[in-house]
Formats: sequence, C-alpha cells, structure tokens
Amino acid sequence: MNAPLLQVDKIEVVYKRVITAVQGVTLAVPDKQIVALLGTNGAGKTTTLRAISGFLGIDDARVTEGSIAFQGARLENRPPHEIAGRGVVLVPEREKVFPNLTVAENLIAPVPRAASAAEHRRQEEIVFHFFPRLADLRARIGGLLSGGERQMLAIAGALMCRPQLLLIDELSLGLAPLVVGELSQRLTTIRNELGIAILLVEQSAATALEIADYAYVMENGRIVLDGDRARLKGHQDVQEFYLGQSGGTGGERRSYRDVKQYRRSRRWYG
Amino acid sequence: MFRPLPRASGYFRTDYADEIALIQTRGERVTLIVFALALVALPFMASPFLLDLACQVLLASIGALSLMLLTGYAGQISLGHAGLIAAGAFTTGILSREINAPFWVTLPASALTGIVLGLIFGLPSLRLRGLYLAVSTLALHFIVIYLGGEYETKRGFSTGITVEKPRIAGIALNDGRIWYFILLAFAVGSLLICINLLRSRSGRAWRAIHAKETVAEALGIGVAAYKLLAFVISSAMTCVAGCLFAYYRGFVSIEAFDLFLSIQYVAMIIIGGMGSLLGALLGAAFVTVFPYVIENLLKLLPNAKSLAGDIFAVNYASFGVVMILFLILEPLGLVGIWRRMQNYFLLWPFKKKPLAGARK
Amino acid sequence: MQLFVNIVVLASIYALIACGYVLIYRVSRVLNLAHGELMMLGAYAVLATASLFSGHPAMALAAAVVLSLVVGVLVYVFLMRKMTGEMALAAILTTVALGILIRGVVLLVWSAQQQYPAQALALPNPSLMLPGGAYISLWSAALVGTNLAVYGALFGFLRFGRWGMRMRAAGQNPLLAAQRGINLHRVYALAWSLSTLTGALAGILMALDSGLTATMPVIGLKAFPAALVGGLDSLVGALFGALIVAAAEVLLIYYVDPLLSDVVPFLVLIAMLVVRPWGLFGTREELDRV
Repeated sequence: MNAPLLQVDKIEVVYKRVITAVQGVTLAVPDKQIVALLGTNGAGKTTTLRAISGFLGIDDARVTEGSIAFQGARLENRPPHEIAGRGVVLVPEREKVFPNLTVAENLIAPVPRAASAAEHRRQEEIVFHFFPRLADLRARIGGLLSGGERQMLAIAGALMCRPQLLLIDELSLGLAPLVVGELSQRLTTIRNELGIAILLVEQSAATALEIADYAYVMENGRIVLDGDRARLKGHQDVQEFYLGQSGGTGGERRSYRDVKQYRRSRRWYG
Repeated sequence: MFRPLPRASGYFRTDYADEIALIQTRGERVTLIVFALALVALPFMASPFLLDLACQVLLASIGALSLMLLTGYAGQISLGHAGLIAAGAFTTGILSREINAPFWVTLPASALTGIVLGLIFGLPSLRLRGLYLAVSTLALHFIVIYLGGEYETKRGFSTGITVEKPRIAGIALNDGRIWYFILLAFAVGSLLICINLLRSRSGRAWRAIHAKETVAEALGIGVAAYKLLAFVISSAMTCVAGCLFAYYRGFVSIEAFDLFLSIQYVAMIIIGGMGSLLGALLGAAFVTVFPYVIENLLKLLPNAKSLAGDIFAVNYASFGVVMILFLILEPLGLVGIWRRMQNYFLLWPFKKKPLAGARK
Repeated sequence: MQLFVNIVVLASIYALIACGYVLIYRVSRVLNLAHGELMMLGAYAVLATASLFSGHPAMALAAAVVLSLVVGVLVYVFLMRKMTGEMALAAILTTVALGILIRGVVLLVWSAQQQYPAQALALPNPSLMLPGGAYISLWSAALVGTNLAVYGALFGFLRFGRWGMRMRAAGQNPLLAAQRGINLHRVYALAWSLSTLTGALAGILMALDSGLTATMPVIGLKAFPAALVGGLDSLVGALFGALIVAAAEVLLIYYVDPLLSDVVPFLVLIAMLVVRPWGLFGTREELDRV
C-alpha cells in the first residue's frame, strides 16, 4: 500500500484566534482515487478544504495543530499560490471564475507549475477535450455564463494548473440534476484519463456516493464516519440523515405520520 | 466589536432597575468613584500646563466620542471631522464677532449648524458606502474649509477671528480651572448621551446597519433615517465641540482645521479601538498627549537644539509611524490590548473558547 | 487658446497622477492616499541624484525614476503587504499614515524651502510658442507627451500582456487568483511599483517645470477626483476624468474666482458622487455588492 497522496492528520483550524472550526480531522486521499467529504451546512467541510488549499489573510484563520502532507511535503499555513504550484488546486464554491475576463482569458490567467507556453497550449487542448462546450464559448465573458458552464469553466481553470490533486467544493450546488450527473461523469473521466486524485466536498450525499471510492462524513467540525462507498451506502445513519431513506428497511420514504417527534441521535459506531 | 467575556458572577438582579443600571458590579462602582474623585481633584493639584493638557484631552474626547458614534458604531466612515469642528468654531466666531452674541446663543447656534451640516454630510451616505462615502466626506470637508477661508479673506480676518470668553453675570470666564470643569461637564454629558443612545433602539439600529445593511433594511429598520440620525447627532456634538474650542482658545483661524486634524480624530478612534466608547476616550488622550511626549523625548536627545526648529516635522513623522504601528500590529486599538489582557486572565489556563457543540 | 493649452497641461498632470490611483485600486482595491506624497518623494529624489550625477542630467533623472520604482516595491513589501485582507478602511488609513510619515521625513531632510531641480540639473525651461499665440513651457509639453506615452504603454500591458491579464484577474477575484497559482504579493508589488513610477514621473516633470515645495501632495489629492470621476478602476476613465476636472478648474478660475482652484476638483467629485458614484467608466458592482 503506497503512502496516500494527501494525508491530513488531526488538524485543528481556528478563526480569529478564538473560534475553533475544525478539530481532530484526519483524512487521506490515495493516488488516483475520488474521495468524498460529506456533511451538512456548517460541518466544517469548506474549512477543511481551505485549510488544505491555503488561507488568505482575509479569513484570519490558521491551522493550529496537526499537519497536512502532500507527497510528503508539509502544506499547512502556506499561501494558496504556493500550494497550487505544488499541484493541489481548489475549485471554490463561490466566485469560481474571473467574471470580467473572457473564457479564453480565464484559461490563460492561471499560472501552471513549470510549464512553457507550448505546454500551456497543450493543456488548453486537453481541457477543451473534456469540456467541448467551452471551446464554443471562448469569447464569452465569464460572468455571463450559465451555472453549469461556469462550473465547467471553474474545473477547466483548475485543470490548467496541471494539478495532481483536485479539490472541489460543492460540485452540485445550484445546478440542475441532469447537469450534475453529466459533471460527475466528466469528473470520473478526468480522473481516469489524467490520473489525478479528487477530493470532493458535497452536501448531496447521493451525488457524491455515485462516483466516490471512499467517503468521510463530517459533523460539527469533526469526522464522525468514514468508509468505502458500499459501507456508507449501507450505513443506517447515513441512509436516514443524508440519503433521506427510512431507517431499517432502507430505500423507502417515510411518511410524516410515522416520524416521531424526537430526533434519533446518530449512532456513529455501527 | 471585541466584546469582553462576562466577568461578574453572583450578582442577582431583583428588579428591572437593576437590569438597566449602568453600574452593575461593586467593582465597577468602586473604580468609578475613585476615578471621579481623581478627576475632580486634578485641577487643584496640577500645574497650569497639565491643566491645559487635561482640558485639551477633554475637548478632543467630545469630538472623538461623536466620531466613534458615527464611524465605530454606525459604520459610516467620515474623514471630514475637522470641517465640522471648523464649522462650529466659525459659527461661534462669526456670531460673537458680527452681532456680539453671548454664549447661550452661540452654543445652540453651533449645534444647529451641526444639525444642518449633518444632514448635508449624511445625504451621500444614503447612496454610498465605505470608500466612496469616506471620499464624499473628504470632499465636503474641503468645501467647508474653503467657505471658512472665503469668509476670512472677504471680511478681513486674514489672521483669524478672536473670540471673547463667555460671560456669566458679567464676569468673564477666564480661569483655567473653571474651564476644566466646564469641559469636564460637557465631556461627561457627551459620554452619557452616547451611552444612552447606544443602549437604546437607535444604538441597536446602528449596530445592525453597520453589520449588514441589507439585512437591517429587510428587518424593517429605517436605514436611511438612522443613518441621517447618526450623522446629525454626531455633527451636532462635533460642532458644539468646535464652539467650546473657539471659546477655550479665544481664537479661530481656518488653518487650524486642516486635513491633518481630521486624520488625527480618525486616528483617535482607531488607536483607541473601534466600536468602544472607552476606546474613543483612550484614543483622544493618546493623540492629544502624543505631541508633548515627542517634544519631551526630543529634548532628551543630544542634538536637541538643532532639531528644535524641526519639531513640527518630527511630530508629523512620528505620528505617521505610530499610526502605522497601531494599524498593523493592533487593529483593535488600545481597548483591544486591554481586553486581550483581561481575557488572558479570565480564560487561564485555557487559551481559547471551546468548540461549539462539543461533547454532547 | 491659452486657456485650451492650460487645460491640456493641467489635464495631463491630473491624468498622469490619476493613473497611479487607478492602478493600485484596480488590482488590489486599496485607495492609496499617499500617492501625492510618494510623487513628491520622487521629485525630491531628483535633488539627491542631481548632486550624485552632477553634469549628467539624464542619468540623474533616470536614477530618480528607478529609485521611485524601488520605493514602490519597498512600500508594498514592508507595509502594505501586512494589510492585504484587512478591511478597506484600515488599508486606506495605513496609506494616509504613510503619507504623513513621508511628509515629515521630507521636511526633516530637505526643509520647507522652495527648491528648483531644473537649476540643480542645469536644465533650461524655455517657453515654446504654439499656433494661436499660446505659450507652453518645455517641461509642460514633455509632461503632456509623457502622459500619452504612459497611458499607451499601460493599456497595451494590461490588455495583452500575460502579467497584465493576471493583474486584472487578481483585481477581480484575489482569492481565486491565488488558488490559480498567481502570486498575489508579486502582482500587488508590481502594481505599486508602476503606480509610484508614474507618480514620480509626474512629480519630476512638474518640479522641473515650476519648482518644488513640500506642498506638492496637495496636487496629488486634487488629482484623486479625476480618478474617481472616471471610475476608480478604469484607466480610460482617468483620462476623461482628468480632462473634465482640469477644464472645470481652469475655466472657473478664469471666469469666477481664483481662490476656487483648490476646491473645484472636490465640487466636481461631489457632483459625480451624487449623480453616478461609480464614475463614468467604472464597474458598478463594487457598490451593489452586499
């Protein structure tokens, strides 16, 4: 078993020196695998991704404990452009493209690691191979793209940096199910053809568990469950709280008449 | 902004008056009494120089409090503070010079000027935010200064207007000690006004507007009205400060109200600590005393004589340095330092507040 | 005709200064209120280099320009870098404090006396005759030409240069730019150095034309409305804004009251803020963003 590509080890992220957002989070992304990070709002998923991809002064956040190692090199608390230079690139949740640049300029602006202009062009061709729609939209201003096109441009822009690990924050947010399905398939194709690993943060557990090889579940800043796809899909609590299926029988939707007033507490040890 | 952690325990309130009382704990009461005694005793024990310095600090704190109200709490950045002080001072000067108005006319007149100017300065805030608002106040400052300068040249007061001290029952108020108590009364009055405003509906509205204006509007807070209110009240207070300034100095000239004065007031609230009335007071004291400290430090240097002529430049440069240091190293100001020290002792041996929702 | 020439010269001054404001604002959303003082520093630098390179005025001028470029980078690296990510007001106030600091230092080193760099460099400043009976001094003409050259270069660089594109990207979405491998600190330092360079050019040419005092930053502040009227993140706007403000100032001084000279730009500014706060060519989203 090789060492994983990315090893996050018991990190703690603190905002403004007093607010702990994430504590004791350990996860690993093996080479060429798609790993999903699930959880509801405020679970700390985006914070974890930002910890891996680097904070900017804007957030006044720091990784105060633990370590993040990418191919053996320590990444925590390094500036984002350095981390991108090492091959870990983030597709953010909001503001994922440059709104006043054209699609073509959006693809020129990223600074890939150790690439000449010719390689830059080749990378562009690769990107257009995965997202042919973008080739048609070359002259369109980034801010005027539709949601799905914008997500494609965001992933394309990230690919222009020639990453070995792609971090994606909220792939499916605000997109139609058909578009989400298509994007998920593209991601799998990208992983297969380019051989890169993907860490995918998703609120929609169903979408994520379709393509992920391994998944972690986060709540309140901590990892509460992890396992491969089969284990998670079959786990009672995941089914009830994340996939919307009734407990026990699995696969059926419960009628409101049957839902009890109390909240069943999650038994993560099963 | 930087709220202190709760400190008092074991105080049980038995009626509503206790809840809204300003002084909640015995510790606070004792501190306040000691401080009040010190303030009252000061003029009888201090040299005239120190007395003058104290008066300057009190005068500055009125302006600082009004600016803190406007910028620190309501979030409306204003770089035109010197223009407002100039307006108050000039109203006093013009009225007492042209029509020999007594102080109980000029004082309300200055306040009235403040109200009118507050409306004018505040109008841009209905459309602009942040940087653009700051720039508009800057422009208005220059326009006010220009008008003051025009008055001076056109009416022949090219060196400035002298203002006679106010008279009560025929006796001119000349004594430094009397002025100390007058200024102390005004400063305490402004502080109480600010405290009460901030504890009331207006204060809550301003904090809401500062935090997120669109949400405040959505919650039914009349954003435009409260913004104008902030400007009006702040400007009125500032113009009153200007009036007092005119009487205290006895002399009004437009050169005293340059952009640097505006910056000094902004520095007061930044160095003191934004979002805290205590910060305004601390900042006012710091910035007012600073030039004198620099001057004395300069005297200690070996080549003091040669630098004596450059005291103005040294003041400038060192003020710039100190302001930069505070902005970079301690953006929360003196109050931030104070609160951090308090929190350290309160939280010890822990360092941070615990994770929310931990250990259910 | 002379009025027209005066307008063009004043507009060139304002435009050359204004592009410094625009460059930094567009790239890092910081308003550099120390621009006037930095400009003054560049002009005073000529005095220093004049004594170093006495007899070679071209070298002295070039050295002063290079020095100002370096100062721009230093200001960013040692001061403004610490302010990235802080709220806008803090960054602006830092520049204000820097301006105050520079003013104090300049007064300490060179005193408040009027200086004449043109004499120090032994450079003449003849009046040139223009068609229509108007006069323009040599250095004013040089200023007009330099202004056009600088704007042309900047347009080309931002539009077509790779790093110009990256500057624009960093201006729109700094976090994303950083995540795409663009070293924000490098981009910002570049913006600051270019801004200080153009400011110094303006300051030096003005000082060569009409002498140098410690009150030069006032002109820097007067040029700011020109930048805002055109739109704080638009170079084209700065040109137009400078023309408008200069025209207003020259005409009002001539026809109404000479004392108005210092206040006219701010009158134009207020008028613009009331009517169209984001300027003629600025991007509007800045103000509607919640």
